[in-house]
Amino acid sequence: MTTQALSVSLQYSHSIGRGEFSGPGFRNPVAMARGADDTMYVVNRSYEYRPDGKRVTICTIDEEYIGEFARGVSTAGVTDIVSEDGSLIWPTCVALDQDGNAYIADEWLNRISIFTKDGEWIGKWGTEGSGDGEISRPSGMVFDADNNLLMVDSQNNRIQKFTKDGKFISAFGSQGSGDGEFNLPWGIDTDIDGNIYVADWRNDRIQKFSKDGKFLMKFGTSGSAPSELNRPTDVAVDRSGMIYVADWGNERMQMFDPTGGFVTLTTGDGTISKWGKDKLDANDAMWKEREIAQGLERERDFWGPVAVTVDDEDRVFVVESCRNRIQVYRRQEPIFVGGGRL
Amino acid sequence: MASSDIELMAHLMRRAGFGATYEELEQYAANGYEATVDELLSPMEQPDLEMDLLERYFIDWKEMNALEVNQAYLTYRMINTKRPLQEKMTLFWHGIFCVGNSKCEHGGQIQHQLDMFRELGMGNFPKLLLALSVDPAMVFYLDNCMSHKDAINENFGRELLELFAMGVGMDGHANYTEEDVKECARAFTGWTIANAIPRYPYGRHPSQFAFNAADHDYGEKTFQGETGNFNGEDIIDIIVKQPSAARFIARHLYNFFVADEPQIPAWQETPPRDMAAIKEMEDAYFESDYNLTAMLRVLFKSEWFKNARFEKVKSPAETVAGTMRLVKDFTSPKPGLHPIAMEIRYMGQDLMNPPTVEGWHTGQEWIDSGTLVERINFTADQIGNVNLPGVKAIIERFSSEGINQAGALVDRCLDMLGAYSLPDETRNYLVEHLGKTGELKPGSESYGGQIAQTLQLIVATQEYQFA
Repeated sequence: MTTQALSVSLQYSHSIGRGEFSGPGFRNPVAMARGADDTMYVVNRSYEYRPDGKRVTICTIDEEYIGEFARGVSTAGVTDIVSEDGSLIWPTCVALDQDGNAYIADEWLNRISIFTKDGEWIGKWGTEGSGDGEISRPSGMVFDADNNLLMVDSQNNRIQKFTKDGKFISAFGSQGSGDGEFNLPWGIDTDIDGNIYVADWRNDRIQKFSKDGKFLMKFGTSGSAPSELNRPTDVAVDRSGMIYVADWGNERMQMFDPTGGFVTLTTGDGTISKWGKDKLDANDAMWKEREIAQGLERERDFWGPVAVTVDDEDRVFVVESCRNRIQVYRRQEPIFVGGGRL
Repeated sequence: MASSDIELMAHLMRRAGFGATYEELEQYAANGYEATVDELLSPMEQPDLEMDLLERYFIDWKEMNALEVNQAYLTYRMINTKRPLQEKMTLFWHGIFCVGNSKCEHGGQIQHQLDMFRELGMGNFPKLLLALSVDPAMVFYLDNCMSHKDAINENFGRELLELFAMGVGMDGHANYTEEDVKECARAFTGWTIANAIPRYPYGRHPSQFAFNAADHDYGEKTFQGETGNFNGEDIIDIIVKQPSAARFIARHLYNFFVADEPQIPAWQETPPRDMAAIKEMEDAYFESDYNLTAMLRVLFKSEWFKNARFEKVKSPAETVAGTMRLVKDFTSPKPGLHPIAMEIRYMGQDLMNPPTVEGWHTGQEWIDSGTLVERINFTADQIGNVNLPGVKAIIERFSSEGINQAGALVDRCLDMLGAYSLPDETRNYLVEHLGKTGELKPGSESYGGQIAQTLQLIVATQEYQFA
């Protein structure tokens, strides 16, 4: 008798979002986090010249718009940039603590701003520098099981762990391309055992560490063939240990097994979202333009897949900065899991 | 005073690039003029910008779909490129092969066109013209997508001859006839674009050129005295071998790099300022099979170029990029670039959005009471900011040189800004003014302010508006 290992796969579910500088929609979204009750928090970086589009959008997976908080500040003129509490200049990521508060990192201000789950500003911390507890361009964050914050301190090429109030706990990593070294790392995630995964951006690889920062494994080499990576921006790990990588430079998302073996990839399957349909319905001429457009299938593809997140139901969210959209996938099991029929 | 080598190098870098700091000029001078020109003429041997890093921090540059986003990117390139002549030639072609965002409303598509200029703008002229003719932004901007075999639209055909490749006339005679325009337009029928995906809700996609054989006029045409079943490519082949094409490109290069010429509509009746110089470039054009780098090599190695100091009014792009290179700001990504890029617009050059297909009127037409104030205010603000790295470096240099005499300090400031010189009356005024600001004590707190103020006064002079 021969046995054949069947692989898990990805099934596209739906798309969320449309391009907007405010209200229902996103503008150059760069990160998201899943909240309670199907909510999600999406960080919008916006155009440099449109700080009004910088914000955090709260909505649901079914595209119910809940609200938005934090705003960009103008960087016009040659005067020093002044940023009020809760405002944003170069927001990079969002992480939710066990109470559902949202921590937003800003890599220009080197500041973590804290908001309640409803978007009320409640605090900040962060000091620029390279010493213990000091930060330089924070680019990815996730809370661990102990409610401590793991942060990619990108320009210092290290991972730092803080209490949620910003008290330094520990750090690991340094600049380089060897095991445990980084070259401008970007995204981060943990698995159910607390192991840490880092998108080692300019080394074109993913590195895995134990919860106390011991190097465990790496995978990925520079290139565009399946399993190869081109400036991976983010990584996410589901409950079964499957690893999802935002392969930004290759405009795709790749899925790896817990050992780092390549499983599958997708270049996107985007469809018209609810908000997108609302926009088109508001102006019938746009539907007509679409009817005569050539190459509409290009709209399915990822453009700028900058972040990937997986939730407790193994739904995978791919954030596209250039399309102002999030594509949602589900992991599909190859074996009978109940609930189906012969 | 700067050495003659430095003065010459400052001249070269203002014209073939966007200026340089004094330290850079010293390095170029040490390398020698010929070697520096050769380096400028081989841009691909220099590293390009690190786009992955730029797109990480300027996240909107991965998309590049709004005019202002693209203008910021273009400004950053001009400030930071290690391939200054390539960027200058991109600007050169952008000012000739005009398309505007006011009609295209698709910044990303115009950006693709500039990328094409970057790639082909120093190469083979017919290849460049062919790429231009299939460029979606151009096809749309000049309505070639509305030109049909049964109803031609002459817009692109006419401008290809008048504004892109031949010019209305030269030496007092016309270069083409109205019949040539019509035949040219016929040859380009069917050169169109596909219907675009609309902007909403997920943003723009690059447009695509399409050849519609069913809408192409395959009939016989007579163009510039030749007869055949010409298509657009054939027309380009005929255009580029005309003496008028050589004259047109040579005169444009002279106007852009050497000395301001009259505006283009006057070229039929007004002879070039330097016919011998034009002839040298025309010869290089034909001898090299229409190679643009060959023309540029003749230009930059000629005595007439070397001697044409301060014969051109700086364009707004040159003013802003040159200033930023001097003060060494925005050498890496940081917030606040957009207002710098907008200064180019406020000074009268809305990049990627020229006023008409004729482009910007250059030379003294860059200057009016509003734009002059804008350029002086901007330049003075930047050069007077003692916190900017380039200004700091000048202050530190003067401190280490121990300059404590007003006359010497004014002259050294003129050197730092690119080996400028002023009429005695103006220079004396600056020296006198500086003398009133107190004793010059290198390293003192007031010293930096005295230098910055002197730099500001120099950039406000008439002489500094010239390149």
